[in-house]
Amino acid sequence: MAEQNNNDPNVFSVDTRFQQLARRPGGVSRDRAIDSAQRQIDGMRTDFANWLDREVQELATSVELLDLNRGDMAALDRAHQACCGLRDVGTTMGFELVTFVADNFCGILEAMKAGAPYDREKIDCHIDAFLLARTEPYRNMRPDQVPEMSSGLRRVVELASASATREAK
Amino acid sequence: MTNPTINLRDLVILIADPSSYVRMISHSMLRGFGANKVLEVGQTTGLLQTLSSQKIDILLCDARLPPHGGLVLTRTIRRNADNVNRTMPILLMSSDTRETTIKSARDAGANMVIAKPMSPKSLYDRLAWIAFNSRNFVDTPTYFGPDRRFKIEGYPGGVGRRKGDKVVEVGQEVGPALAQDDIDSLFSATRTG
Repeated sequence: MAEQNNNDPNVFSVDTRFQQLARRPGGVSRDRAIDSAQRQIDGMRTDFANWLDREVQELATSVELLDLNRGDMAALDRAHQACCGLRDVGTTMGFELVTFVADNFCGILEAMKAGAPYDREKIDCHIDAFLLARTEPYRNMRPDQVPEMSSGLRRVVELASASATREAK
Repeated sequence: MTNPTINLRDLVILIADPSSYVRMISHSMLRGFGANKVLEVGQTTGLLQTLSSQKIDILLCDARLPPHGGLVLTRTIRRNADNVNRTMPILLMSSDTRETTIKSARDAGANMVIAKPMSPKSLYDRLAWIAFNSRNFVDTPTYFGPDRRFKIEGYPGGVGRRKGDKVVEVGQEVGPALAQDDIDSLFSATRTG
């Protein structure tokens, strides 16, 4: 029999406690579980609008600090973190446009981290887009239902990314 | 397998995400699924403390968890031979779904990646997939984690899957975001052949 080399992979089976217990009978059926989870989320919608207002306000405050000191990396990080948070929950809560705007704004802030110059207009148009996206007529819309706004914001991110690439060279 | 039912009662589930709202939403979804033991942490320090003090049955971890990110953390957990949670399932949550990122997550030892923002359906199905699709673990000098030998269903953009397929240039760090189905196909272990 050939000896096993120390570099040979050791392959073994693992039956984790998660797998053992998750397969037990008696769980909530998939459809009921998903319905129930969706109801939990629906119950959070009212609070979400308030939370969204607070987050956008905090984002605006971080951006104001950046306006005062353009090298304030801590403020840039805070703004980016807040923006990622908005992006990660918007669609789940039914605010697809919020996720779209936040995703774009994350692109702007990432470009700034990568060296793109501070541009107040690019930031302001995203903050304004957030304020619009949270309002009643827009909150249930998808980006493709507001093509002018979507393509405009995308173009702004493209310009910021190109600017960052130029600065990096 | 169609519409499997999972039983999350008494399983200890740990959510690690810097956003308190993401944690709250994920927690609510899991409660809706029937989970009753859900823990939350907001950063790596808290996560490592929790992992060293108790057995966790599954970890839902954000790919950007401060300060070093979920990929580094996953690799750290997998490579620590003394960690009782070394083989626990790890579900990475990521808003960055480029192919390079998904492959990095797989190579770090994640069981599965779920795209953010999550829906109850996408979360339930990923948990069920982990529960019902056992994968061997592989221990090598450079990798410890679930078996990464996959049946690739085909990449977007026409990248070949066989040695004899026509070679297609793949971009380095940039690329389109993958849909959840494409992400799943990168994690679908070969069952036959």
